[in-house]
Amino acid sequence: MNPTLFPWMIAVPLGVSPLVYLVGRLGVGLNFRFRFAQALALLALLATWAVFALSLGQFTAQKAILPFGLEMIWLTADGLSFLLAAMVLGLGTFAVLFSGPYIAGEIGEEKYYAMLLAIMGIMIGLGCANDLFNLWVWFEAMAVSSYLLVAFYRERSASLEAGMKYLVQSAIGSVLVLLGISLVLGQFGTLDMDKIRALAATSAAGGLGLALAGALFIIGFGVKVAFVPLHTWLPDAHSQAPSGISAMLSGVVIEAGLVAMLRALSTLGGFSISWGVLLLVFGALNMFFGNFMALRQTQIKRMLAYSSLSHIGYILIGLGITLFNGEPAGAQGAAFHLFNHMLMKGLAFFAVGALMFALLDKNGIHRPLEIGDLAGAARKYPLAALTLSIALLALGGLPPLAGFMSKWQIFVAGFQGSNAWLMGLAIFAAFNSVLSLAYYAPLVNMLYRRKVSVVVEQGASIPVSMSIPLVALAAAIVAIGLWPALMNGLTEPAALAFLGMFGK
Amino acid sequence: MTLTILNAVLFSVVLLLAVGFYGLLITRNLIKIVVVLQTLVKAAIMALVLAGNTSGNPGLGQSAAATVLVADTVVAVVALALAVQVRRRAGTLDIARISTLRG
Amino acid sequence: MAGILIGFVIGIPWLGAVALWLTRDRNSSLQHALAVGFSVAAGIASLALIPFASARTVIDLPMGRYFGNLTFTADGLAVTLTAIACVVGSLAVIFSVDYMHGEAQLGRFYAFVLLFIGAMTGLLLSGNLLFMFFFWEITALCSYALISFYNDDPKAVAGGIKALIMTQVGGVGLLAGALITYAALGSYQVADLLAQAGTMPANLLTLAAFGFLLAAAAKSAQFPFHTWLPDAMEAPTPISALIHAATMVNAGVYLLARFYPAFEQVPGWKMAVTAVGLVSALITAFMALTATDLKRALAYSTVSQLGYMVYAIGVGGVFASQFHLLSHAVFKALLFLAAGAVIHATGTREMARMGALGKQMPFVRNVFILGALALAGLPILNGFWSKELILEAGLSAGPQWAYDGMLLGAGMTAFYTLRMTWLVFFGTARETFHVHDAGRAMKVSLGLLAAGTLTTWLLAGPMSETLHGTLPFHSIHSLSLFGLAEEIFTAPATYLALMVVAVGLVIFWMVRHQATTWRENSQKSGAGNWMTILSRESFGFDWLNRQVAGRTVQFASVLQKTQTGILSWNVVGILSAFLAILLYLVWSVK
Repeated sequence: MNPTLFPWMIAVPLGVSPLVYLVGRLGVGLNFRFRFAQALALLALLATWAVFALSLGQFTAQKAILPFGLEMIWLTADGLSFLLAAMVLGLGTFAVLFSGPYIAGEIGEEKYYAMLLAIMGIMIGLGCANDLFNLWVWFEAMAVSSYLLVAFYRERSASLEAGMKYLVQSAIGSVLVLLGISLVLGQFGTLDMDKIRALAATSAAGGLGLALAGALFIIGFGVKVAFVPLHTWLPDAHSQAPSGISAMLSGVVIEAGLVAMLRALSTLGGFSISWGVLLLVFGALNMFFGNFMALRQTQIKRMLAYSSLSHIGYILIGLGITLFNGEPAGAQGAAFHLFNHMLMKGLAFFAVGALMFALLDKNGIHRPLEIGDLAGAARKYPLAALTLSIALLALGGLPPLAGFMSKWQIFVAGFQGSNAWLMGLAIFAAFNSVLSLAYYAPLVNMLYRRKVSVVVEQGASIPVSMSIPLVALAAAIVAIGLWPALMNGLTEPAALAFLGMFGK
Repeated sequence: MTLTILNAVLFSVVLLLAVGFYGLLITRNLIKIVVVLQTLVKAAIMALVLAGNTSGNPGLGQSAAATVLVADTVVAVVALALAVQVRRRAGTLDIARISTLRG
Repeated sequence: MAGILIGFVIGIPWLGAVALWLTRDRNSSLQHALAVGFSVAAGIASLALIPFASARTVIDLPMGRYFGNLTFTADGLAVTLTAIACVVGSLAVIFSVDYMHGEAQLGRFYAFVLLFIGAMTGLLLSGNLLFMFFFWEITALCSYALISFYNDDPKAVAGGIKALIMTQVGGVGLLAGALITYAALGSYQVADLLAQAGTMPANLLTLAAFGFLLAAAAKSAQFPFHTWLPDAMEAPTPISALIHAATMVNAGVYLLARFYPAFEQVPGWKMAVTAVGLVSALITAFMALTATDLKRALAYSTVSQLGYMVYAIGVGGVFASQFHLLSHAVFKALLFLAAGAVIHATGTREMARMGALGKQMPFVRNVFILGALALAGLPILNGFWSKELILEAGLSAGPQWAYDGMLLGAGMTAFYTLRMTWLVFFGTARETFHVHDAGRAMKVSLGLLAAGTLTTWLLAGPMSETLHGTLPFHSIHSLSLFGLAEEIFTAPATYLALMVVAVGLVIFWMVRHQATTWRENSQKSGAGNWMTILSRESFGFDWLNRQVAGRTVQFASVLQKTQTGILSWNVVGILSAFLAILLYLVWSVK
């Protein structure tokens, strides 16, 4: 009998987080050149990786959901949980590594790593929640930690503004989720998702109540996932946060919100087609809106934030297709794109962050990085420029990069079954992808100019610890672009879990 | 619809929600925004307790409500801390006046 | 063996691309040497691949459930075009040794050229629609990167992005076609599509057929996508020769030829292909009449000649189209590179400033004339044979009006070709340049291409034999050289076409004094004025492009107003979305 290992993926980061804070706090004022807090956080993540690998092995061998219960905490790990955990760990480790020089010397440096570690544990926990109310608690905990990280630059008014808007809108979302939970509880008298699922599937009555609960879940979690028109906080928050956090927010936090929404929706039963249609509509809206809003941005991080909206759109379309036709292809494509988006957007934010650090922060300039600032950056920063170009072109869906393959898989799903609407939607998505090149490409051109901008000329150098994540993520993007089957081990179970949840 | 305790609670939930959302639409003062957010959460807490009672599982609803109370306090603290920082940096609590991020 | 060689023709250039990127512009002679080495090696591998042509699938790697198997098939069509891509590619690289001498960022230049060569061969050899699309998009990426190689020049950046977006819009057609095939047949294999097209539902097959046509038109800069190629001329000239004349733009024609057997039964498809070819050939030939920018004139003529190839496929002359593709790749690369030598020497692309350069650059003049004669279709250069073959196919199997139009195009081609040659090398010197003849590396490339222009028609026999033997679905007849000569010299169509060409030349000679003053940017009224206005605007399509781009940006800026930055409005967004969803759900519960 093997012990159930996966809860340690949650417990280790959460447990070490206060220690990291303590170590960091004690280090303040001692002027150590070595950052103990960061090192401890990395060590904890290493341990979490080990647990992840072992429990993934366990899961693959058992081919089943691993249940775990402790007092009022109910956890199960299925394919979706492991996908989310892989994303969180993958990006989080690099974010901790990347943030070393970036965050050094800022006020509250010691809190940063502790918060980062905590939010990672929370997100992994969210992916494993098997109780509707537990799910909300994880979700709320994630929200609170992300408010603090968004408003990390307490002395900057734009950062406070973004944090405040994020907080208010998220709080409205979580109230709506609570109302939805109350409706479900009132109807079925339980919060266990499996029991609700079974009851909802058999109960004939209560259609309207469940519909209302579904609407509340979609909007409540949708705020966090940045469904258009609930997205208004996202461009502000993602552009104002420290770059390591922007990467986390864009690469995993909104996706964790999506996982939470899917878990909650899946319990309500009987509405699969309706949920599918709604996800498809929001997907189309998000793609369209995100692309057009990004088209005229001059601040790079804001442009990337809007591009997240459009990428959420592709993911929603993949999921919606599966709910619509019951084929796993769409969900697997969506899971694949979730993972790739984490890599691509993470890399983009890291690369922009590294450039921002070298060009502006290091010289004491605190303003957003504009596209024009990067003119000729490739001459002085060949690595950052190359990796940023790779990230952007991958986001635009060009081969041989990861984004091409996952978009392709979503399009495959759209064409399966030859439904005219879905085919039309896939073609619409493809045209959106073309449109997105209209804002990614000029930035790449800017990087490779011969004439160098003033900020680049005066820019400092990029430290090695910031370059490591860039190289690793870029290599992963190219590798997946050349060999898409690499990710099947994660995406296939995730798609099956998704289908299982919705009872298909 | 007769006036029972349950109906009264349900009515107050709806009322609190209405007040809260109305407040969010008109308020620009950060402190007031925190207050109306609290109003909304209180409505949700009452809804949880109510749901526990109607479904014959009052313990579940109440324990959930207690947890929400805790989580919500944390949010309120964070929100107020941000408000304090805003006041300190910008000299105002009017969210519209510190708004620079648009487009 | 074939498998290894396929690995070489894709792998060597890609390896070279990585190597050149890593050189980091420290040692330019090393960069030139590496680029020449890698590209020549690829060229040799591509030539060695020709004897191994067969319809068999050579490499077969499973790539996962939704991606099919990565397969390569080196059949006649693929090996011929691969050889063109790699050989012209290596000649363009050799030419660049002189042309790009002393330029900055050579590593990026050569890396993309080599990446392109590898991707182009991958596109040609791929037996899987997904990976065909994969390589198709990489060629578009390289084309974009190289058009905007001079990133500081806004025109170059705009041209690059325009090319990227327009070919991508067309690429959606290929994507849809490939996905329809997969949905209907459960396979991405090209061979499966060719064999089982008849079993697909008619409406899906039609959709796929027109999707492929859309993709081909965009890639080959055919009507209505003909506007991107002239703007792509901001690229360094060897790139124009390689990508925008000899290889990538042929990919569209290749696509149509490859899938001709699958789609020929689709109602209206052949007619649409014929019409696209005809319209493209005529309007761009017309635009070339007044062009004064040497490279743009050549670009117009490229679109026009590609129109001939597309037309040939429309009337069922698959071999004629591929044979013309071969001829055109050689003589147009020659013309572009010769033009590059002129531009390199004079520092301008304006033909209106040139004139009488022939005396100072005799070698370049001679090879340019050779290329021009081939373009005009005069015997016995390669362009003559292939163009006659196309016209004959058109006369025997296509509609008469289309044939008449193509004949008119042949006359216009003769006219503009002579005008171009005249403006650059003869007449009076409008400005004095201190020019020198081509450098040594340039002469090597030009000389080899000139030799090719004189001789590639001799390959008609073996080429048709290979296509006949390795393309089971295309029913291409093998044709000996003697048979070709007999076919062409006994057909009255040949003499008719030659007469039209002669008329075109004579008309130019009669109006040469007016015709040389036609300017694309002319404001004067006169004979050429209405023509220049039509040409400058690409028959209204440049205006259309500008409108689409302008409206898109305008719409984006309107949409930006929705991000008010005011918290209350954000809350309104949340509440209204909630109500909308609720209404939908209540409606769907009923």
